[in-house]
This record gives sequence, C-alpha cells and structure tokens, in this order.
Amino acid sequence: MKDISKSVRKVDSLIKMSGEAKYVSDIKIDGMLYAKTVRSSKSKAIIKKITLPVIPEGYHIIDHTDIPGKNFVKIIFEDMPVFAEKTVSYYGEPIMLVIGEDKNIITDIISNIEIEYEEVTPLFENTNSAINYHFTKGDSNKAFKNAKKIIKDDYDTGYQEQLYIEPQGMIGYIEGEKVTLIGSIQCPYYVKNAVISILEAEEDQVRVKQAVVGGAFGGKEEFPSLMACQLAVALRKIKKPIKLIYEREEDMEVTTKRHPAWIHMEAAINDKNEIDGLTAKVAIDGGAYIGLSGVVLSRALIASTGAYTIDNIEVGGDVFLTNTVPNGAFRGFGAPQMLFAVEMFIQHIALELELDPLELRLKYLAKQGDATSTRGKFRDPIIMNDMINKGMEMSDYKNKVKKYTEQGIYKGIGMSWFLHGCGFTGSGEANHIKALVKLQKDIDDKVTILIAAVDMGQGVQTTMKKIVAQILDIPLDQVIYNKPDTDLVPDSGPTVASRTIMVVGGLVARATKQLKEKWVDGEAIIVSERYKQPEYIKWDEDNFIGDAYPAYSWGVNIVEVEVSPITYQVSLVGIWSVYDVGKAIDERIIMGQADGGILQGVGYGYLEVMKNVNGKIQHKNVTDYIIPTTGDTAPMETFLMDNPYPLGPYGAKGAGELTLVGGAPAVALAIENAINKKVKSIPVTPEYIMELMKNG
Amino acid sequence: MKNLIPKTYAEALEMLNNDNLRILAGGTDLMIQNRSWSNMLPDFKTGTILIFNLEELKYMVQEEHFLHIGSGMTLEDIKDNELTPKLLVDALKIMASPAIRNMATIGGNIGNASPAGDSLPVLYVLNALVVLESVEAMRDVPIHDFIIGPGKKTIKQNEIIKEIKIPTNNLTIVKFDKIGGRKADAISKISFAGAAHVKNNIIQDFRVAFGAVGPTVVRKYDLESHLVGLTLDDVSLNIKEILSEYGKYIRPIDDQRSNKEYRKEVALNLLESFILSL
Repeated sequence: MKDISKSVRKVDSLIKMSGEAKYVSDIKIDGMLYAKTVRSSKSKAIIKKITLPVIPEGYHIIDHTDIPGKNFVKIIFEDMPVFAEKTVSYYGEPIMLVIGEDKNIITDIISNIEIEYEEVTPLFENTNSAINYHFTKGDSNKAFKNAKKIIKDDYDTGYQEQLYIEPQGMIGYIEGEKVTLIGSIQCPYYVKNAVISILEAEEDQVRVKQAVVGGAFGGKEEFPSLMACQLAVALRKIKKPIKLIYEREEDMEVTTKRHPAWIHMEAAINDKNEIDGLTAKVAIDGGAYIGLSGVVLSRALIASTGAYTIDNIEVGGDVFLTNTVPNGAFRGFGAPQMLFAVEMFIQHIALELELDPLELRLKYLAKQGDATSTRGKFRDPIIMNDMINKGMEMSDYKNKVKKYTEQGIYKGIGMSWFLHGCGFTGSGEANHIKALVKLQKDIDDKVTILIAAVDMGQGVQTTMKKIVAQILDIPLDQVIYNKPDTDLVPDSGPTVASRTIMVVGGLVARATKQLKEKWVDGEAIIVSERYKQPEYIKWDEDNFIGDAYPAYSWGVNIVEVEVSPITYQVSLVGIWSVYDVGKAIDERIIMGQADGGILQGVGYGYLEVMKNVNGKIQHKNVTDYIIPTTGDTAPMETFLMDNPYPLGPYGAKGAGELTLVGGAPAVALAIENAINKKVKSIPVTPEYIMELMKNG
Repeated sequence: MKNLIPKTYAEALEMLNNDNLRILAGGTDLMIQNRSWSNMLPDFKTGTILIFNLEELKYMVQEEHFLHIGSGMTLEDIKDNELTPKLLVDALKIMASPAIRNMATIGGNIGNASPAGDSLPVLYVLNALVVLESVEAMRDVPIHDFIIGPGKKTIKQNEIIKEIKIPTNNLTIVKFDKIGGRKADAISKISFAGAAHVKNNIIQDFRVAFGAVGPTVVRKYDLESHLVGLTLDDVSLNIKEILSEYGKYIRPIDDQRSNKEYRKEVALNLLESFILSL
C-alpha cells in the first residue's frame, strides 16, 4: 500500500485558481438586501438618545429591540450583546444594522443617524480582572526560599491581526420559520447554537452552511456568531435574503485579534546553578468582553514551561477587561505569547548565570515520562534531541551562533524549541464537544464524509478524503466531502485547536474501518463514531491538574537575520524548521502549513505592529498593518519527522498551530544575537532595536 | 457631476478650462483616498477627468539640456527606460508593488504631493522642473516650489502636469534609500536621495533630500553649498557638525508607521553613511 504522506493535488486548488470558487461575497440571491452596521464612536458611553432620519419604504433598522431571545452572543459567558442596548463598551461596538436594497440609500441613512452619548471614562489599563487562574506543580515556594539567586524578567507581546484574505461575511435567507445562514466560518455548529439562542428557535429552524472560506486563522472561530445572530434577527423581521460583508478596515477595527500579553517570569536558582523553581504571572488584554479569553489564558499558562521540564512551578494569570475591541482566537491561542516569554527567559537565565544557553536548555528539555506543567504525563516518545540536532545541522547553527556572538557583525541566529498541545484544552473534547462523525455509502458505492470540519485553506477536504480512500483502498474521487451544512452533517466540533486531523480525522478513520468491515457492494450503509476520551486521560479543570492535552506536537525553528546598524532594519537570511506532527497525511499540505505558519509566527515576532490609541486601532488597513511579503521572506527548509501517535489517523497529530508558535522567539533570539542586547518585547521593530542599541 | 474621458491632450486642456475637475491618471492614490463601500462608485467630491489613456503624455525624450518625461508615463515604464537616471531607477525599483507601478504615473506621484512620495526626494535632488500647461500658457516650476505642503501644490485649476524636465548633470555618485515597514509594498517611514560629484578628492557638487521627515521633502541648498569645494577629508572630519546642521531641519512626526526619534536618527544615519561613502 502506498504511503499516505505522498502528496496529491489539493482537491480545491483548481476552483480556487480558476476563480470558480464561490465565496460569500460572490453569492447572490434574488431580492437580496444589503446590511451595514452602525457602530459606537465612543470607547465607553451611555447611549442617551438615538435620532433616526425618515426611513424610506423597503429600508429597515434592526437593533436590540428586535431580538426575540436574550441579547448575548452564545460563546461561553453571557456577556457580549448582539446589539448594544443602553451602553457601549468599545469603539466600534455594533448598535444597529441598516438594511435595504440600495447601498447609496443605506449610506445616506447611516450618515443621518444621530446618536447622543454620555461619555464615561474608558478603562485601558489592566485593572479589571474578569478571570483569574492559578496552579502549581511541586513546591516552588521552597525553591524560591532556598534560592541562591532569583532571576526576574518582564516580557510583552502585541496584538496580531489574522488578516485572512477574505474579510468576514455572511448571507442569510428565510423559508417560513427556518433561517439559513451561509458564511465564511470555521465552526458551523457554534454559529448554529448562537442563532438558536438569539432567536429562541428550535433546532430544525436554523441551518448553517459553509461557503468557500478565504482564510481564517482563528478569526472566524467565534466572531462570525455575532454577525450570524444579527442577520438572523433581521431575517426574522424582514423576511428577505440579506447579505452582510465587512469592508477590510471595518474588519480590522472591530473583529477579534491575538491578545496583547504581559508576562512576568521569575526563576529560583539553587547553589548548583540549577533552575529549581519557576513562576510566571500573565496578564492578557481581553478587550471589552470575555469571549474565549479564559480559554486562551489557560493555554498560555499551561505552556509556561514550554518544551522544558521544571519541577517546581507556580503559574497564574488574569484576563483583564478593557474598553477596547474584544480579542479572541488566533492560531496558537495563547501559546505564542507564552512561548516567546519562556524561550527568551531561559536564554536570559543562561546569560545571567554565564552558562552556555544550549547546554542549559538541553538540561531541562522535556523527556518521555516527564510530568507536564499541570502534573500530567508526556506519554508518547519525545524525539526533540534528534530534531534539535537535525535543525542545527541543517542551519549550521553551532558555528554561526559562535561566530556571530564573538564578532559583533550584526548577524544573528536564533533557535526556538516548542510544543503544542493538540486539540481542546483539558476536558473540552470529552465534556463539551463530544464529536460525532458519520460516513454514508450509497448504492453506487460512493462514500460521503459527514463532518462539520471546514476547509479554510488548510487542506482538510483533501486530507479527509485521503484517509477514507486509503483505508478503503478506493480512488480519491469515490469519496465525497462537501462543505458542511448543519442539516446534513453531525456536530464533529469546531475547526480549531489543531484538532481536525487528529481528533476528527481519527474518528473518520475509525468509522471508515467500520464501514470496511460492513462493506457490501451496491448497498447503502451509514456508520458513525463518537469521541471517547482515552481512559488514562484525567483532567481536573478547577485546579489545572492532569493531562491538559491527549498529545503534543513538537518543533524546532531556527531563524538567521541581519540587522542594519544604520537603519536598524531586520533582514531574514534563512529559516529552518523541524517538526514532529506524528505523521503527515499529505506532505505538501503540511509543507504549506509549515511555510505559512512560520512566516506568520516570524512576522508576529519582528514585523506586525498593531496598536490602539485610546481604544482605536491605528493599523486598520493592509497598508499600515505590515505582514511579510515574498520580498521579506528568506529561503525556508523544513524537515518532517515520523513519530506516529497511536490514536491519530495513520499516526497524525496536530499541525496547523505548531508551525506558528515558535516563529517569534526564534526571530527575537536571532535579533538578540545580532545586536547583543536582551529582547523582551515583540514585535522587535527597527524603532525598538534602535532604542535597545542606544540605551538598552 | 462630470466624469470625463478626453480623447486627446488638447481636449483635456479644454475640459479642465471649462470645469472644476480632479485629474485622475492611474488612480492608485485617488481611488484609495475616495473609496466607498465595495461595489459602489468611488466617492469623489468633484468631477474627474481621466487622462491615463492619453498617449500624448507617455514619452521620454533626451534633449541637449533636459530629459523630458511625459507625466502619463507609468513608474514601471520609466524604471525600464534606458534614458532614466540611475537614481530614479533605484527609487522606482523599490516603490510599491509591480501591480501599482504598472498603473501609477510619475505625474500622479508628484500631483499627490505626499510627504512620503518616493520619487520626490529623487526629483528634488535632480533639480527637476514640473511643466504645467493650460489652454492659456505653459510654465516651468521647480519641484520644490511646486509642492508646498502635504497634498498642496501651486497648480491652477485649469493646469495639468504635462511633463517633468530633468536637467542634465554630471553627478557621478548617487544613492537612494527607502526605509519602509517591509521590503516591498510599503509606504516610506523615511526616504533618502543623495547625489554628488567628486573630482580630485574635492566635492564639486553635493545634493541630498529626505522624504517623510517633514510636511514636504527636505533639501537644504545652503548647507549643500557649504560642502562644495571641501575635500573629502574635511567633510569626514566635520561630519558631526554637518549632521547637527541637518538635524535642525529634520523634524519628523509620530504616526502609525514610525516615531519621530527613529525617523530623525535614521535620516541622519543615512546622510552620514552617504557622506562617508563619497
């Protein structure tokens, strides 16, 4: 049998290259109306009065008074309203939709709406904690009490914008009482459940379909639920098809981003110059509403020792609410912030103790059988030693780091080690998601995969089909995988958290084996599989004790840079990566993830600046928000290890996020090596480098 | 509101004489500045006249004293033309992206009068003249008199930028630096154009201009004249003083792209590096 990793042509590449693919914006329905959002122009205020102009016939205002259910977007907490009522909590918060046929008239209506506010002093500091988590492992108090030396450092990270090519968008129509929404989304069932809640509808009165998705990166995890709720409310009232597409600037100003974070680290060093204890205190800016911030914080905290094993730790952190745009899911989900801090800190500890950083890091590198940061266990083989050696060999790391350190020639090389927990944090899969997948074989022996996983460019349409075709030993085109439609597919969970191949793909593989056993030519057969957590996985959600993840993917990134002493600009010279994703279901698809992921991670580390000033995002278009172009990219070399995970399909583990999370520390360490100054903040901009070189 | 497309240059001059029209060439600035909701027409406040297709404005000719560049020449075509001075080629090569360079015109880059327009420091250093024409007359205006502030220029309502005239020169050393947020497709945080002629170790001609560090491009003729006649050794010895003199006129601002400390420091670093490379 052929190796499943052997690449095939991505099943959606032709329709995307030819322009045939239909994105939400391409969908037109007869009699369709357009919607535009009226937003708060204040960061915090009481709405005193809204004066509407005369609304022409056929035009509509939809606001909180039209909501049949309770006014909140169902995510985790009942905190974020679908439409603001008496108060607004961030600049850009939605207040109402103006809907009608002619965009000119809608624009005209909006420009004549007067909203009187009574401004309240907005909060932009980290003082209002909405969530606080705390956990320990071992006895860090003792370690710090007995310490010969305590090393402390503070790190901070900025916003990051997903910058999917296709902005947020959704279109909806209504048939009788049934509302259908077609969207650029990652999680059809999140959308469905939020809409059921806002409409107080029955299960069968809401249908959610995925359009072709032009990139998401987490940005289309929870945010689309807000748009869907607004549209659903409008559909119920107006009863005509309505389209709501964000403009690029609107999207960048008001949709969720990666949380800015502030991380305080302390290490207790004993008299043998060992790291005896470690503490991390994390603050993330949740923005105006909690959304998924608590879950993001959990992943950050759990990553507090990175790829290392430290026996005594104490970790805590807060989600702070501020009067700024709510932050949310983004590839990596809290880990990129923490891994930056950890990787810099261990380097800084080595410098402080005058130890060889590589030796110090190797000493604490996690091994199979070690306890995780939450007192779980690394059960599966960890092959990081081989990976590190491979990476150092590919990049000539040892020679270069020595040469650059000694010579001070504004060249630098940095290496990050990291892991990424695959799937939902903690008991999410078992308690909340309970994924269900189905396969349906028709009398013509074609097999349809019925799952809610969305192909947003990451190739899941191709890889899922490969899994089924390979197990059944049938041609790829005998397997059908249409875009999810909640009327047709069961809830296999959201397309997030690097869970799709490992968890959903694992279930699909099991279902396929079931189908293979039951297979009778020419007969219709349906099989299904539901997620069962392995017995040995135990998780105490309240105390952060146990196995936070069923499996971990591992990685090594090495980045080489040059820094100009005249302009302080950074040029990427080379990028090398080694990954353990268990087993690649399609090598080229993983390589695509690898190239895109590292560039997004490196961009986060040195290029991508986004700030808010008094609650307003300053970098709200693609001119001002700088992501790397091909001109900024360096040659990349990626090596994939085989280290099959027993419960993943063909041994596959998570891959999508892993390729991003190590980019920032690798480039930051490279810059640090080039300028011989401690880097403590990302992005490492030329402005920051200048400051470090002059004062730092 | 009139939106006109003339068939000939003469017709364009007539139209401009009759109505208050915004001149639109490649549209790479104006279409963005006047954008509106997707699938709607751009939101121009006045009528427009589209001159992008006027072949009569697409030419480059070298005459005895001047290189003439028609205002309708795209940046890409100028970049690839063998008559184009190296300094201008160096600037055009790293401007924007290929898609934009194929639409954007030199007349438009001047007319937009952005403090960060990348062709501008080069045109300042080359002593470029902007040739303005109306139905009534034609006149030459030095580029530093043409641009008087961000987006502001001394052009009359019925005038059009016909061409740019670059005087012949014997500049032997040229340098262009663009400091953007990334290596391509970026708006400058700082740009620098330097040109000089050195003979027998003595500076014969020295010109430098800075973009994006003030409301208009900064070029100081008096400071330049102080350096002419000095030996390279004199200049190297006095580099601190020269930088400090220039520092008085480099007064950048903070914005979303960078901050004033960085802009000033790097502008002077670029100047220093240029002088020391002579």
